[in-house]
Amino acid sequence: MAAFLARRIAQGLAVVVLVATIVFFLIHAAPGDPFSASMENPGISESVRAAWRHTYGLDRPLGEQYVRYVTSVARGDLGFSFSLQRPVTDALASALPNTLLLMSIALVAAFAIGIAVAVAQVRRRGKSTDRVLGGISIFLFSVPDFWLAMLMLVSLSYWIPLFPIGGSVDPTTHDMMGAAARGVDRLKHLILPALTLALLYFPVIARHQRAALLESITSDYMTTARAKGVSENALITRHALRNALLPVVTILGVAFPALLTGAVFVEKVFSWPGMGLLIVNSINSRDYPLLTAAVLLGSTFVIVGSILSDVAYRLLDPRLRDER
Amino acid sequence: MVDVAPVKPQLLVPMRRSLSLLAAVVVLTGCFDNESARSTGENGGTLVISVGGDPDVLFPPLSETTSAQIVENLVYDPLAEIGDSLSTVGDVGFKPRLAKSWTWAPDSLSIAFHLDSTAKWHDGVPVRSADVKSTFRVYTDSASGSPFAVTLASIDSVTTPDSMTAVFWFSKRSPLQFFDAVYNMSILPDHLLKDIKGAALRTSSLSRNPVGTGRFRFVSWTPGSALQLAADTSNYLGRPHLDRVVMTIAPDFNTALTRLVGGEADVLEQVPAAVLPDIEKDTTLTKTLDPGLEYNFVQFNLRDPKQPNRPHRLFADRGLRRALGEAIDRASIVKNVYDSLAYLAVGPTVRAYQTTDTTVAPIGYSVDKAKRDLDSLGWKDSNGDGVRDKAGVPLEFTLEVPSSSKARSRMAVLIQEQLRQVGVKMNIDQLDFPAFVAKEGSRAFDAVFGQWHVEASPGSVRQTWGSAGAAKGGTNYGSYANPMFDAEVDSALSAHTTAERRAHFTAAYRIIDEDAPAIWLAEPKRIMAVNRRIDTGKLRADVWWANIADWKIPADKRIARDASAASPKR
Repeated sequence: MAAFLARRIAQGLAVVVLVATIVFFLIHAAPGDPFSASMENPGISESVRAAWRHTYGLDRPLGEQYVRYVTSVARGDLGFSFSLQRPVTDALASALPNTLLLMSIALVAAFAIGIAVAVAQVRRRGKSTDRVLGGISIFLFSVPDFWLAMLMLVSLSYWIPLFPIGGSVDPTTHDMMGAAARGVDRLKHLILPALTLALLYFPVIARHQRAALLESITSDYMTTARAKGVSENALITRHALRNALLPVVTILGVAFPALLTGAVFVEKVFSWPGMGLLIVNSINSRDYPLLTAAVLLGSTFVIVGSILSDVAYRLLDPRLRDER
Repeated sequence: MVDVAPVKPQLLVPMRRSLSLLAAVVVLTGCFDNESARSTGENGGTLVISVGGDPDVLFPPLSETTSAQIVENLVYDPLAEIGDSLSTVGDVGFKPRLAKSWTWAPDSLSIAFHLDSTAKWHDGVPVRSADVKSTFRVYTDSASGSPFAVTLASIDSVTTPDSMTAVFWFSKRSPLQFFDAVYNMSILPDHLLKDIKGAALRTSSLSRNPVGTGRFRFVSWTPGSALQLAADTSNYLGRPHLDRVVMTIAPDFNTALTRLVGGEADVLEQVPAAVLPDIEKDTTLTKTLDPGLEYNFVQFNLRDPKQPNRPHRLFADRGLRRALGEAIDRASIVKNVYDSLAYLAVGPTVRAYQTTDTTVAPIGYSVDKAKRDLDSLGWKDSNGDGVRDKAGVPLEFTLEVPSSSKARSRMAVLIQEQLRQVGVKMNIDQLDFPAFVAKEGSRAFDAVFGQWHVEASPGSVRQTWGSAGAAKGGTNYGSYANPMFDAEVDSALSAHTTAERRAHFTAAYRIIDEDAPAIWLAEPKRIMAVNRRIDTGKLRADVWWANIADWKIPADKRIARDASAASPKR
């Protein structure tokens, strides 16, 4: 296992460096630069823009900029965000916890709902419950995320004002609340975006889980269990489900990077100050250091998710443990 | 609500029933006391402004975003404030701020500003002339990289004969001397700037936690979420009527609009025309419609995009440019795209300026005349393909349009169709904004659909349309140059009365309209939606937020969030 891990981590590091390098050169190759927006302000002259480019070293040859960037990243300095006018590490530090909170709750909810729906479908397979739940899953799987987010926001915040209209806290009262009320305020703002994401993600899990369960319940050991008089409910929840969870582990590995990158449209609609918005804004404003750092972090999460998934597979499936 | 979401209410019920979480939510929503104590009297209330993004930096010499400028305008003060008429000639209409009075030198080459002795920084330190001198240093130091340095170029130096007097020395006499000294310069605290120099200013604590003299003091900034200001109750200019100003950040316009109609925000700026009917129907909201400070135009490149020392193969010809202008029905295009929410542009100016003569008429619309003129210039459809040509070269060009602007994209399509009808082929190239401005700046285009947001003084026209900005590095991207236009603009900017100024600008606009280096399209109005509980008074044309300290929320219209007497808990 140790050799396997060491090999995967080394491969992962190489991928992270490669991805960051490609992104660095691609974003620099795109037309425009971080100070392009000021070109519609007649008060800002080209000499001012040239001074800004000089300040940030953007007037140096691209190869030199890359070497300087890699050197500073190696020292733990991810650079200075042009668009946010603050160190990149500060920007990531304020956005990352919000995204981790939102996405972890959304993913847990999505997996819980997805597995529960799959079990319900398999228990009533071929019947109306199976078809209705399947239909709902397909509907939610096919709706655009921004549309569902807007629907949820308008329905449950405006027409029926159960939740606040976006944001991570109430900016007008949060600072005046006690600790408990702040927690409640945070939760109120969290529920709707997390629920929206859970509704968007659960259909994938439900469909994979349903297929795995259906395959499992036709296995020989299930026939044996049935012959021994085990009830259908116990068959599914105690025997089939445990074996059918393996494919879901794969989905978990794939979903893990979403913990970092968030969901751009959902974050935007709910004004959730997370990583997704940060990344999109960094592309639009050609904020090279912020975008490269976000990609660096994102690819690290992809690698970590992939390794965790492999490790979980090996732990859950004894047949894989001896594989090199 | 047309633009919010295409949703059906009945979908809500099954969805809600299926989610047991909502039962808990109903309990949670009851945790807030919406009927908490309300402040009474003339002063009180919390104004919530919805903005699309975070400020870049809260340091006036360096900030560029609107949200930053709103905060800075409330937290910092200039020496004097421009009047509602936006007169920039001499000190006409300017109101005292940090300077309670000023004295012109007999030769008009210096102005002595006498500071208000009761003015204090929000940390309690009194305001002194050293603050003014230090501010000038920061704004003009090339290491700071302030975009406003160029606006202070006419000021030689600032001296401080005593602790309460700051004298501005000018290199030459000009009607804009006073404007230059006060309009773009917010006074900064010397005691907090002393140890910070050059590029370090951008990352200093002051740039994220501003300490000013304005009627609101900075409280907090949570990036991506909100920014709070509180009334400076002992301010030298008097307490503002509002207790707090909160700026909430909503990157998605539909969310911002939902917050407004849902009562979670009081002010939303830059409202698109499409949602205006819904705002008019909402009895809790009112809209404000004012002349804006923007105008847009199709700008021709008069130089060859590949070899700038050579004339453009098409647009160096004044006659062709004029013929294209005649072929375009500007009025119908602007009406089609903006309805009544924009004026027809009269030239490189806006109606908010006192110096703009709206009777100036650009080239009139006449398809027949356009066809005749194109024929006489030798542009004829010799091969019957619907596109005119001359010496085997088709009359075809590309218009660059920023995809971020829906209005300009729509107008471009209408222009394309109208030009097609006279045998001109115009291709539309939509680019994302950074790519668009990069192309504009490098002058590698035939024509661009540009837009200028101008400041309170019309002086920027010298750079955007005059010879001064025609060279590479300038902002006259089409390289139009006419010495007569330059002379009239120079005369206007050195005129000492508004009437004289207006006469010269009118002459300048007539010259440029005749030369047709651009087709002037729209001058969009500034549309804001405001909750009716807010009494805004008259909004200033250049910056709507200028008088927020005088805005009121009557006691009988205050709601739960207006009860803000309690100090924030930390």
